[in-house]
Amino acid sequence: MKPRLGLSLLRLFTVQGSWTYERMIGVGVGVAEEPLLRDLPGGPGGAAYRAAVARGARYFNAHPYLAGLAVGAAAKAEYEGVPPEQIERLRSALAGPLGSLGDLLVWAGWLPLTAALAIAAVALGAGWAAIAGFLILYNAGHFALRWWALRVGWANGTRVPVALHQPWLRRAAAFTGPAMALAMGFALPLAAGRLATPLPNSGRAAMAGCAAVALVLLWRRTAQLTGLRLGLAVLAGALVVGWVWR
Amino acid sequence: MSLDVQLVLLLWGTLVGLDLVSVPQIMIARPLVAGAGAGLILGDLPTGLRLGILFELFQLDVLPVGATRYPEYGPATVAAVSAGHLVNSVGGLALGAIVGLPVALVGGVSLHLLRRLNARAVSRAAARIEGGDPRALVRVHVGGIARDAVRGALVTTVGLALAWLARFVLVSTLSQHGFVALAAAAAGVALAAAFAGTQRLVGRGAGLRWFALGLGGGAILEWLR
Repeated sequence: MKPRLGLSLLRLFTVQGSWTYERMIGVGVGVAEEPLLRDLPGGPGGAAYRAAVARGARYFNAHPYLAGLAVGAAAKAEYEGVPPEQIERLRSALAGPLGSLGDLLVWAGWLPLTAALAIAAVALGAGWAAIAGFLILYNAGHFALRWWALRVGWANGTRVPVALHQPWLRRAAAFTGPAMALAMGFALPLAAGRLATPLPNSGRAAMAGCAAVALVLLWRRTAQLTGLRLGLAVLAGALVVGWVWR
Repeated sequence: MSLDVQLVLLLWGTLVGLDLVSVPQIMIARPLVAGAGAGLILGDLPTGLRLGILFELFQLDVLPVGATRYPEYGPATVAAVSAGHLVNSVGGLALGAIVGLPVALVGGVSLHLLRRLNARAVSRAAARIEGGDPRALVRVHVGGIARDAVRGALVTTVGLALAWLARFVLVSTLSQHGFVALAAAAAGVALAAAFAGTQRLVGRGAGLRWFALGLGGGAILEWLR
């Protein structure tokens, strides 16, 4: 089964490739689960296999790095002869926790933490080494999480919700939050310094003023105003100023 | 800039576009990596890193959870570096920002369109997928990835065209004051976006104290340099 797990893992790297608003990552999950289902009674093409493939591709949403946990667990449940309704319920029950755990651990933790370290390293002059270091460090966590999720799902089947209570997950969440906050705080002044370096003093003052006003606007109107929209509006204004001021 | 270099940039922008959502999410789509890669291709790593930092700060305002719509800063950074290289540092920052932000917006819109095209493809194959046909399933999935590659290439092409246009029009018409105003505005908003985005993540509890501690440490180190 190991080669099938490997193939499933490889396919999990593409899990969001056919993302839709209707099925979310369902089709990708079905594609990743398919290799694990080939040994079901009747083999590929058999009734059990086809029914399981169809179930695997239905609506599902979770963090992409943790989707393997649902893939492995659902596939194992198919071998254990768990009724289809129970497999559907398992998938539904896993979607929310896998989404929120992944968002907390990765999108709001590990990714901004490693990105902040990379920003700081670039600002301090590490150059290309900082980029390579970021890719290696981030993906060490990324690959490990994907493999852990698939392996744990496959090992536990319908008992997989217990795996989500493992102490290391709580410790990782408890570490990445504060570490991310510290690293981001550390990186921002260094990034400001790096961006301000080529500017004359008047430009640095303008940059600081612009940052202060933009921050107040973003804090006050978070729902309607994004950094991109504000950036476009301010750049349009600066372009007019630049044309007039010669 | 030779056609060869433009084609390599287009390939890089396409890979960066694919990495954001489809495959393999190893974070070459992050602006810092995309910018450094474009800088290496153009033989101008400093500009790539400077614009990489600028757009990485904008990216920190984005939390890509669930079905949220968000801008795409990867191919935008590639286009920005293409616009900003061979100009002086301030001009590079200004031109990069004026090209990159609209391209990020276009990238975000293109992602939404891609998802609708994917939905049509799934809908067409729904009966076969529900019948458990693995070939139909894989075909729909690979089709989605191929569409995303085309999308990434198109967004990068638009970005590179805009970069060429910006250099052609703005370099000769804007004064040095104009470039300073643009660069200062872009850097200021980018810092504010990163600050606000981080503050939303850390909240008001212990995380805020860690954030403040980091800010203090970073500010002291920057002052000492």
